[in-house]
Amino acid sequence: MDDEQSSEDQRGVSERLAGAEAAERAGVSLSTLRRWVALGLFSKHDVGQGWGPSAIAQARSLVKLRERGYSIGQIQEAIDEGRIVGYADELVAEMVGERFTLKEVAKQTKLKPEVIEELIAAIGLPSGATEDLGAEDVEMFRHFATAVESGFPRDALLQTVRVYGQAISKIADAEVRLVHLHVHEPLLRDGVSSELIAEQMDEITEELLPLFSPVIDHLHRRFLNHFVEQDIVGHMESEVGGGEIGQVRVAIAFADLAGYTQLTEEVGDEEAAGIVERFVANVNQSLPDEARILKTIGDEVMIVSPDAASLIDWAVGFQFLSSERPLPRIGIHVGNVVFRDGDYFGREVNLAARVAARAAAGEVLVTWPVVEMAGKHLEFERIGEVQLKGFNRATELFLVDSAGGN
Amino acid sequence: MTVQFDSTEQFRDVIDAVMTLMSEDPEMGPRLRHADVPQRFEFDDMELVVNARAARDGEQGNLYWEWSDKVDWEPKVKLTMSSEVANLYFQGKENVPVAIARRRIMAGGDVKSALELIPITKPVYGLYRSMLKADYPQLLVT
Repeated sequence: MDDEQSSEDQRGVSERLAGAEAAERAGVSLSTLRRWVALGLFSKHDVGQGWGPSAIAQARSLVKLRERGYSIGQIQEAIDEGRIVGYADELVAEMVGERFTLKEVAKQTKLKPEVIEELIAAIGLPSGATEDLGAEDVEMFRHFATAVESGFPRDALLQTVRVYGQAISKIADAEVRLVHLHVHEPLLRDGVSSELIAEQMDEITEELLPLFSPVIDHLHRRFLNHFVEQDIVGHMESEVGGGEIGQVRVAIAFADLAGYTQLTEEVGDEEAAGIVERFVANVNQSLPDEARILKTIGDEVMIVSPDAASLIDWAVGFQFLSSERPLPRIGIHVGNVVFRDGDYFGREVNLAARVAARAAAGEVLVTWPVVEMAGKHLEFERIGEVQLKGFNRATELFLVDSAGGN
Repeated sequence: MTVQFDSTEQFRDVIDAVMTLMSEDPEMGPRLRHADVPQRFEFDDMELVVNARAARDGEQGNLYWEWSDKVDWEPKVKLTMSSEVANLYFQGKENVPVAIARRRIMAGGDVKSALELIPITKPVYGLYRSMLKADYPQLLVT
């Protein structure tokens, strides 16, 4: 047996299950599974020699479709038309591997069952996952156990895991949706036969799948390197003990496109989405190294930076370089915020968002703490005390001279 | 620490070299040519002006430039900066919007095009630093 074959076996790809076990994994009775086989719903799988991972995964999908009210006839039609395509064995290898209960995982990893449950919830796996864990899940909990043993605080671990779950599920969702929109859908529209669609989808999955993990691993290291550098600079520039544990002092900017809703009405969703995409790309490509986009919500971008002075300079320069409608509007505030689950929360974040909402097209609007931290080369016009929505006290706002020195 | 060029001639040689890097780079060159944004760079401390545009049919490379204002095309984007800022910019050490706000770069014309050129020209940072390391190590900024 060569190495490749051996690793395939380790992943359980070549393993096959008997009908009864396959039915249990799929969450359906054996008689129903047999009936579906007889109806030809698994014609692309050789289940006569046992159930492989992709056949079981397809059975699970069929269960979900039946639960949503689709008839066998409708499902059969979708399979025939190539609208339902199979899974790659590598993707669902765990379907045939050994399963473990929560108690078994706790025993193997020495983690308390309630901690495992908390971690499963933090990752965002379905609650039923606690009693249906695979060998790779056990391995993952061993890593978490090592982190706990090494003294990493439990709350910090839960937050880290929550960020992993959110970020990686977003990646997986995007991968599947993009393959669907740009590969599967065009094949369907071109009237390609279901066999050819299945073949092409298998090919692309086989070629793409091995790329994802190394790319994500590499990017993770690149970003870790970047943020460790940022953290070192942050330690030098901030006062130790200056705020609560879990709080950080950052400059927060919100930027969006003024009149975007109207623009969508005028040019349609597709073109408007393209304009937002270019806007976000321009922000991302032009930000100073220490600033980053934390998230985007529609046409709105939230940016955080440990350096308020460079962030406000960026905003002024960015406005100067944005000469075409729809013009951006930017609001900036500086304050202590709660850092949780990879996001920033608290009054100061809400305030920054409200400041941006008050800005007009092409403007950079800021609060007094920002003015205090800005460079002497900038000029500010005091707008006055403004009652921002949701805040009891009025906030002093300033308009930055967006012409810069040009 | 401020890094300075030895002479106007050395500065011209370095800018010629970086323009050649951008023009001949298989990634940047065609993209810059396709973007077709004629640019005028004024280096005020050196009293030098270089006008650059996409190469026309029959011309070598992807970019064409002349150290003069007497050219038969109109610049779309005008950027004025010192030789020190230019050196920092090409090393990826000068953020364009920030430099505009700090009056280290003066921009004019179709400035939106300048914003769109930022991602296209980013690969030049590494190439320029490699060139400096080999030929002008005194101009490297850490």
